[in-house]
Amino acid sequence: MSARPCDPKAEELSLALAVSGLRAGYGRGGDIVCGIDLAQKAESIVAVIGPNGSGKSSFIKTIAGLVPTRAGTVAVTGRDITTLSPARRVASGLAYVPQEANIFATLTIAENLKLATEFLRGRAGVGPEQREKVLDLFPELRLRPRTLAGNLSGGQRQMLAFACALLANPEVLLLDEPSAGLSPKIVGETMEAVVRVREAGVTVLLVEQNVAAALGIADEVVVLVAGRLTLRASAADIRQADLAGLFFGKAA
Amino acid sequence: MISYLVTVVILVAIAALVGLALNLQWGLAGLVNFGVAGFVALGAYTLAISAPHVGWLAGLALSAAVCAGLSMLLSLLTIRLEENYLAIVTIGFAEIVRILLLNLGDLTGGALGIADIPRPFAGVTPAGWGDAVILAFALGLVVIVFAFSEALVRSPFGRALRAVRDDATAAAALGKPVLALRVRAFAIGGAIMGLAGALHAFFLTYIDPSQFTPIITAYAFMAVIAGGRGSNLGLVLGAGSIMLILEATRFLKDVIPGVDGVQLSALRLGMIGVGIVLLLILRPEGLVSEPKRRFADFFPPESEKA
Amino acid sequence: MALQLFINGLVTGLLLALPALALTLVFGILRFANFAVGAFLTLGAYAAYTANVVLGLPLPIAAAVAAATVALASLIADALVFERLRMRGSITLLVASMGVSLVVENICRFIFGNAARSFDLAVARPIRWNGLRINHEQLITAGVVVIALVLLHLLITASPLGRAMRAVADNASLAAVRGVERRTIARITFALTGALIGLAGVLAGLDRAIDPLMGWNYQIPIFAAAILGGLGSPIGAVAGALLIGVAEEMSALILPVSFRQIVSFGVILLLLLFRANGLFGAKAIRK
Repeated sequence: MSARPCDPKAEELSLALAVSGLRAGYGRGGDIVCGIDLAQKAESIVAVIGPNGSGKSSFIKTIAGLVPTRAGTVAVTGRDITTLSPARRVASGLAYVPQEANIFATLTIAENLKLATEFLRGRAGVGPEQREKVLDLFPELRLRPRTLAGNLSGGQRQMLAFACALLANPEVLLLDEPSAGLSPKIVGETMEAVVRVREAGVTVLLVEQNVAAALGIADEVVVLVAGRLTLRASAADIRQADLAGLFFGKAA
Repeated sequence: MISYLVTVVILVAIAALVGLALNLQWGLAGLVNFGVAGFVALGAYTLAISAPHVGWLAGLALSAAVCAGLSMLLSLLTIRLEENYLAIVTIGFAEIVRILLLNLGDLTGGALGIADIPRPFAGVTPAGWGDAVILAFALGLVVIVFAFSEALVRSPFGRALRAVRDDATAAAALGKPVLALRVRAFAIGGAIMGLAGALHAFFLTYIDPSQFTPIITAYAFMAVIAGGRGSNLGLVLGAGSIMLILEATRFLKDVIPGVDGVQLSALRLGMIGVGIVLLLILRPEGLVSEPKRRFADFFPPESEKA
Repeated sequence: MALQLFINGLVTGLLLALPALALTLVFGILRFANFAVGAFLTLGAYAAYTANVVLGLPLPIAAAVAAATVALASLIADALVFERLRMRGSITLLVASMGVSLVVENICRFIFGNAARSFDLAVARPIRWNGLRINHEQLITAGVVVIALVLLHLLITASPLGRAMRAVADNASLAAVRGVERRTIARITFALTGALIGLAGVLAGLDRAIDPLMGWNYQIPIFAAAILGGLGSPIGAVAGALLIGVAEEMSALILPVSFRQIVSFGVILLLLLFRANGLFGAKAIRK
């Protein structure tokens, strides 16, 4: 098994997400994302795993536009979005659910849902139909629209965050550790929700610390160590026992 | 002409003291003090009221002690809160000092102020040497405070302060008693402002509330920004050049026709404002930058991470 | 006597509510206390003075001119100063806002001098009722502020713009990935709060003489009101302003009038001692 560099030019059009040569970091510090290439087919789930501090979260934030890109490109369905602001990236079909604080705690559920689309001018397929489709995926959000989102449980928050991201009718959904801080039962429900999202036609890039949960739903797995991709393989080929070695770079 | 030069040098000395104090509080410890003028006024009045009774030296010490004590109280109130709160409390403090000075007439003379403040060594000064003695006294005070500030910066206390300023959480994790360090730095700064106020009172021998406007605060910030946060040498250079520029602008009236006194002072104060903003934007490190590397280069602030 | 002072206090409080609200809204979005509030209030008063006395326009139009002038000035200050320093943290922004304050105040002083001025307004007989005395300026102030507050409340709670403002204040980076540009919202907030401060400047000019230090004299009560309400909480700022206004006026019962301004500072100190988050339970703003 070895890292497989992709060829963005040949595949670009059929790819939902194409990342090439991506470098990023904070302030005047060194690179935390050190030249990552990633090509993801439409309607697939790719899980990014790796040890703590390997740059997984920074990687996904860079794609979302929250960490400044230093080099490389990001394209969604063939369209280069590298120079766009985070807000414009959403309008280009890239939705992102952060790990923590992924809902507006001081706004109600209804306000959170409204806000998810009302500033996305020019995004196709963002309307009442999409709203119905999304709320069918997460029916419990219909029940108490005037509840402050800050009063929801961890699992409910996660559902609201997913729903808000999906309301933008994204091509690609970025999820940063959706299982963080949830009980095992809720983790299971959350992962099921991710599968439902994919079945609705959305491509999912998932950063996950909970490797077992990620392997359970992902089509492909990439391993990130020290800001570099060290392995890419189909989820079925990976046994957890291999991973300990991979995380420390033995098989890279 | 000689006495005008003496005046300018002493004004520079006062500005340098105030600047060194603010440099300790803001530059080194990261604590914003918008009430500088209030502390200077408090120092001046403490001296003016006490010196006739206890002598100039004890009066000087009392000025420093009173200002240190009040600085400590104000910083203790807000030290656990965001920077914004200390700034607000200190600006309020300066207003209160001004109001009290105006209204506690029995003690402060109200708007008329206090006259005949005794100068240091007044009894042993030969006639005609008054200016020379106060000049020497002012320069001596600056040298002592400068040396003290330099020693402080290089001491473990100074290093700890910088660490706390740049990343209070990390410094706390390293076992620095963050709150105590900050309170102490703020109190020492307050004491130096008290000394500056006392020097002001010694020099003019007459004080009233109109001498202590918020402009003193603005000058001090300008000096610290120009000199580079945390650098004492830069600070003295900054304070000196600002006072010289300000003094030079007094002569603008002769050059620009049709500008009256009020407009001229508005121009000067407005220029200070422009200077503060421009230097913050263009020269974030000041004219003489702090020699040591900073924590923040390694640990970006939250706003950049998010 | 006490009732009269209470009513005067409510009107003073309403006047303070607009700038306190402006302070707290900008704090919510940009996380710094804008010390230029007072100077912008002065600018508003002078803009209205120019329209009203120099150009001879009626006062309502002069008020609109003042609101527009200060809104524009706030936008300029944001573009030239605050946006450029945004990444450098709230201490730098604080100090920069002090610099902006000096510039604005002294532009007013340069043009208009230190002399006290007032609007061109017919003196009307105050309304008397049961020994209470309410003058027209107080009625105008109360009416204008109440209308402004109702409109602002609707804007903040029920409009997309208000939602976006609250979202950015709650979590700016999440708002960005929901399609809300922080930059745009910050600009709109500066313009909106500038208009509020300009309006407050006009109302302050009805109440007292217009001079370059006028706004400075409101600075401490404005900050006291915003802190009392919990920095960042709009409703809190309004309630805080009313409390400060009433406390200041009622203090005349026990304190000489010249000590009135001490009341606001006293309130700030007591609050910081006992309840630093403000009376209205805003999020803790600790380090």
